[in-house]
This record gives sequence, structure tokens and C-alpha cells, in this order.
Amino acid sequence: MSEQQLFKVTIDNITVEVAPGTTILNAARQIGGEVTPPAMCYYSKLKDSGGKCRTCLVEVSKGSEKDPRPMPKLVASCRTTVMDGMEVKNITSPRVIDARAGVVEFLLINHPLDCPICDQAGECHLQDLGYEHGKEETRYEFQRRSFHKVDLGEYIQLHMTRCILCYRCVYTADQLTDSREHGVLDRGDHAQIATMIQKNLKNDFIGNVIDVCPVGALTDKTFRFKNRVWFTKPMDAHRDCSKCCGEVQLWMRGDEVYRVTARKDEWGEVKESSKGSTGWICNDCRFDKKHASDWIIEGPTNVSRHSVISANHYQKLEQPKETVTEVMNGIEPRLFMNIHDVSEVNQQHVQLSLIDGPATGKVFNKNAD
Amino acid sequence: MGRKILLDKAHVPGIRSYDVYRREGGYRSVEKALRTMSPDAVVEEVKKSGLRGRGGAGFPTGMKWSFLAKPEGIPRYLVVNADESEPGTFKDRYLMEFLPHLLIEGIITSCFALGSKVSYIYIRGEYAWIVSILEHAIEEARHNGWLGTNILGTGFDCEIYVQRGAGAYICGEETALLESLEGKRGNPRIKPPFPAVKGLWDSPTVVNNVETIAAVVPIINEGGDEYAKIGVGKSTGTKLISACGNINKPGVFEIDMTISVEEFIYSDEYCGGIPGGKKLKACIPGGSSVPILPANLLLKTAKGDTRIMNYESLSDGGFATGSMMGSGGFIVLDEDQCVVKNTYTLARFYRHESCGQCSPCREGTGWMERILLNIDQGKGKMSDIDLLWDIQSKIEGNTICPLGDAAAWPVAAAIRHFRDEFEWHILHPDECTKRNYGLAHYADPIHIPA
Repeated sequence: MSEQQLFKVTIDNITVEVAPGTTILNAARQIGGEVTPPAMCYYSKLKDSGGKCRTCLVEVSKGSEKDPRPMPKLVASCRTTVMDGMEVKNITSPRVIDARAGVVEFLLINHPLDCPICDQAGECHLQDLGYEHGKEETRYEFQRRSFHKVDLGEYIQLHMTRCILCYRCVYTADQLTDSREHGVLDRGDHAQIATMIQKNLKNDFIGNVIDVCPVGALTDKTFRFKNRVWFTKPMDAHRDCSKCCGEVQLWMRGDEVYRVTARKDEWGEVKESSKGSTGWICNDCRFDKKHASDWIIEGPTNVSRHSVISANHYQKLEQPKETVTEVMNGIEPRLFMNIHDVSEVNQQHVQLSLIDGPATGKVFNKNAD
Repeated sequence: MGRKILLDKAHVPGIRSYDVYRREGGYRSVEKALRTMSPDAVVEEVKKSGLRGRGGAGFPTGMKWSFLAKPEGIPRYLVVNADESEPGTFKDRYLMEFLPHLLIEGIITSCFALGSKVSYIYIRGEYAWIVSILEHAIEEARHNGWLGTNILGTGFDCEIYVQRGAGAYICGEETALLESLEGKRGNPRIKPPFPAVKGLWDSPTVVNNVETIAAVVPIINEGGDEYAKIGVGKSTGTKLISACGNINKPGVFEIDMTISVEEFIYSDEYCGGIPGGKKLKACIPGGSSVPILPANLLLKTAKGDTRIMNYESLSDGGFATGSMMGSGGFIVLDEDQCVVKNTYTLARFYRHESCGQCSPCREGTGWMERILLNIDQGKGKMSDIDLLWDIQSKIEGNTICPLGDAAAWPVAAAIRHFRDEFEWHILHPDECTKRNYGLAHYADPIHIPA
């Protein structure tokens, strides 16, 4: 295998050599940084995932060395394999940026944007995506799709309203458990993730659907509303587990363990365990072992994801030596302005609770009149 | 007078039964192919005939067949797409209902050419009564030795199974059809791999439309060269057109792709003109998903040539001034029809039929439907038109399967050609709910730049 011919692929003018069969997305991940297209549905650890969300669309400006014709349509980089000499445009293509902004808008039109009360906030891929690739305002003026919350068994809550139908949880349940646990009912914009006739998800490994969910649609009921992600400290820990690898992240505040998840890499995917297989964890580890004494704590996790929680601020908490006055060249800090005087949003007579539907700047202005 | 080669026997009394069909010269193509030809020779005849897929995309059938991978030890399948769900298209229904043995004969010959021992007819769930017609015909064919093992003593085996769909438009997309046939949720697969390499149960598979397979029969009987003489250019042979809407004689017509659109609409042999002497406003020439054309652009191309009912002429001018042959669902709108309402109806259909797998189609179709409903009810805003245009452009080409394109094209074409009607709806919110915009200038002679 060492003699294997590598393919040269150029993404946004950066050339990288990858093995044949690698997808454009994975080649871009080898380069890293902004060149990597975002992916909401693709999950490298799950077979057949990807191709659905269309956020990873890229332009292939040169098919290969042999056949240099460009591909007419934008292609899903997560499911398109590289050819030798392929040239791909991601952020250097206005077409891609335009299409991606469109996809982000589509994903958000029916999303409730309830981040302030959502447990996923702070580690949500859709938040990151909207922030990095979306537009500031929505043009959608209609009632958003909503569903009732459903309990999938004892530990998992499904809040379909937030779901972007990436199918990751379906593949997880299919591939990690013996029998098919849940699937998608209906079609189109009324499609929903569902178990058959409210059948509970009981399998030992079903908790992993929470980890793969890119949004707050599947949440851990033992953690719901207990704490915000950014207030908790992720710590690497392990225990001797007969069912799984036992290598986890504990999300702690003080000595209290709030949540247990699998370890994730910089793409938000479950890492490989030290034994070499994907580090899925079992329900016992995830839901039942909520005491620090259950675990052997290795130390703080170095979070490499580009997200609110990635600041790693808890690792080296150091007070700056200089005071503000020193930094400002001797100027004393003072009050610049009262925020209520300048912001329309914070006016006290605007009744936030009376605003119906997606709130935009226009709505606030109308209410203020 | 157009030449009929598919439907020429459709009205022979009792043609549905095997005996009459055989007496009228049925199953000759099977005898000829199995006894005197090699499978490759059959494929070669089909290639020579220039037959193009009749399901909508118009891909050359012979080429599709030659792409079929032929690894040793793995079965190959022929799947007949009878999931005819496009609004305005009902030609396969007619064919299967009146000439079930023609389809079966075509399948046997095609299976021989492709080396497939098992074939499936995936039929639209709503065509429940046709299932029993087909199954009866298959039983008759088996009884008379045309199906089963060692057909005609040549050692060739063939079986046909009929599988009913459950009424989803998306299952007419070939990979969604295969998923559904395998018993899964009918979501389109991501291509590549194409079905010719990895199709049904991961085996090489050819998916063809009913009409395409039926056309193989006259091709083998008369020879590919003879078939190619009918029609013009790359539009060879005959095409079934299902005409509906504001015409005197709705129905299925077999045309030889040399007649003009004007003749097709107004001649008594075909649609027989528009009822009440009303004027033609617009037409969707190839099933609901192809772009709508106003009367002037329908009868003449932008260059001023007469538009002919064939693949090239209907798509002359691209989407800017042309349309597509599509699946042959010819929908005529007279002066009393409202293009906005028509577009809304189509948008509602696509919203309902989107599988929900990829985001642009899932969310975009519903969004377009709501905006169009607003405009139709006189609640629209002028900015909605540009918004619609933007939404359709974000859907088109960015989805897994062509359903996204099919949903985007009608909206795009309606705005492109009938923008003034949309604007009138928005500017006259009360009037637009009471009367139609009418004909405007759509039927005026087109301006041809010198």
C-alpha cells in the first residue's frame, strides 16, 4: 500500500496529496482552516452519511488531469471523490459562497432560533454555520414549522422543531445497534425523525445519537436546562467499562459532573479511542456515572473546535498584569454611553413577548411606534 | 397523417388478451431477437435507432444500455419505470392499459439484450387496476412459453414481477425507485455510483420508462435504421403525447415528431383546438416540471422558426425562450387561465412531493408555495417576485436529484415570461381574486431582432 499512487488535488489554490478514494471534503480537512467546507450532515464515522444538507457544496473548476472539463453543477464535497489533478474552488468561488448562503437560509427558515433556551447553544454546528456563512436577516415571513417535544425513552428528548434532518442519528442507530431503532416519517418539509409508535429507544448505545446531532434536536435529559455549556469545564476522563471504551469527556462545574459525552475532534465528530475503534460510549457511562468518583480524571480537554467553548479559558486562567489604564496609555476608563439611549432593541417599552414570529429589526421598529 | 407504430393496434377489439395480440403479430420481436440475434446485436439495433429515453430526460437508450457493467457472477436487472406521476403525463397508463403485452414483449427482448434474467415493473400505486391487467398478461405470457425458463428453447430465462409503489412522485426518480423497490424509504441516492454500476441490490441495473421499452419492439421488428427514418434529427421514432387542459380532444396521441406545435393543438387529428374558440395563452409542453411558454414563443422560436413537436425544437433557445420535450405531458392554458394560480398549484405539488432529504428542496419548495399563495390571494408584495426568483435559483442545481430542478423551473419560467401578470396581482389585490389577467400580449407576434 505504501507504493500507492497519491492524487494531487488543489483546493482554493492549495495543493495537497491524498489517497485515491478520498472525498474532496476530507482532502480539504487535511489542509484545514477556512478552506474546509462546512458539513452539517456528513459524519466520517458513519457509513453512507452526507450529501443531504448541501452546505459543503464546492465548485470543481477542473475535473482531473485526464479530463480537465469543469463539472457543470456545484458538487457535494462530502460525497465526491477526488481525481488526480482536480482543482476545486471553495471560498474562492462566488458561486459557492452564494449557494452556501442560500442553503444556510433554507436551513434556518424553519429553525426556531431559540438558542437562548437551547442546551446545544455554544456547541451548535448550526450556530457556527449561520454565523460564518449566513446572512444577517431572514427573508422568511411565515409561521415556522413546529412539532411537539417527544421523549425517546428515559434519557433522550427529541425536539423536532430544531431538527435539520441530517439523518445522522438514523445512521447511528442503524449502524451502532442491532436493530433499527428509529427512522424518518413523512416526507418533504413535514418529514420527521420518529420511533415507530412512540417506541422507546432502549439500546445500550443509543445515547450516541445525542453526540452526533449537530443541533439541539436530540438532547440529554439528564443535562437539560442544568447548565450552559460554556460554564462547564470539559475534562478528559476514563473508567473501566465492560460495554464501551470508557473514554469520555466530563463536563464539570466545580466537583460536580453535569454531563458525560464522548470525546470529539476538531470537526465535532467522536474521536477514535485509544483502542483504535471509534469512541462511542454506552448509556451507563453517559447517563448513570455522574459522580467525579466514578471516573479517573486525566485533565482538562484541549478543545480544538472553532466554537464558543473552544476558548480553553479555564486551562490557563491568568490575570493580565497590566491594568486598563496602562493599556490605554494612561487614560482612565469612563462611561461612554448608556446603551438604552442608542439601541432600538433595548428600549424598555418594547414588549418582547408580544412579538410574533421571527423578530427582525423591522418588527422592533414597528413595535416601538 | 402521422405514422403509428406503438398504438396502431391499440383499438383492435380484445388486444389486451394474448391470443388477439399474438394473432396481430405480437411477440415477433422476441422470436427474432432470441433466434437470430445476439444480445449485443440487439443493443446495436437500439443504438442505431437513435431511441431516446421517453421518461423525460431524453438520454439515448442505446448508450445507457452500453454503460451497463457486466461483471461475472453478479445478476443484472432491468427495471421498468411505470411510476408515471408527473402532472399532465398519462401516456404510460394508456399503453399499459390497452397494450400490456407490448410492454411485456419489450421487456423480454430488452432483458435478452441486457442479459438480465429478472425484470421489475415498478408501477405507480394509484394505477391499481393496471396491476391486475399486467399480472394477467404476464400469466398469459408465461402460460404460452414467453416467460420462465428456456424460452423458445434457446436457454434464455426471464421473469417479470410487478411491484406497486405507494403513491410518491419522488419514486419516479430512478434511484429513489430502486430504494423503494428494495423496500426502503424512497429517498434518491447520491450519484455516482450510477445504477448501471450499482443499482438494485447493488447489482448493475438499467431503469427505463415504459414507453422506451415498448419502443424496442418496433425497433427489433423493423430494424434500427428503419426506425431512425421516422422523425427528424436526433428525435427519431414516434412519441406518445398526453394532451390535456383547455383543448377539445384531451387524450394520448402518437406523433412522429415532425408536426408543428400549432398543428398539434389545432388540427382535428390531435387536440382539435381550444374549446369555445378561445385564444391560446400558454402551454406547458412536456409535463409539469418543464418551463411554461407563452403562446407566441410556443408556436414560433425566438429565431422565428416554426416550433416542431420534437426534442430539439421544443428546447430551442434554452430556458430563456424555449422549454423541453420532457415526458410528453402537454398542458394547454387558454386566455381565461391564471398563470399565478397555475404556478401556485405546481409549487404546492412539489412541496408535497419533495422527499425532504436535502435542504434546498425541502425548505425551498414550501417557501415558494407560501409566497405564491400570498400573491395569488392578493397579499403579495412587489419584492416577493424577486425573492421567488432568488429562491428558485438557490434550489436549482443544488439538490441531490432533479426534483429540485423540477420544482424551480416552472416558477422561474412563469416569472420570466409572465412577470407582468405577477405584478398585476400584486398591484390589484382586490381585482385579482375576482377576475383573471387575461391574454395581455402573450399571443402577439414575437419581436425578432433584425
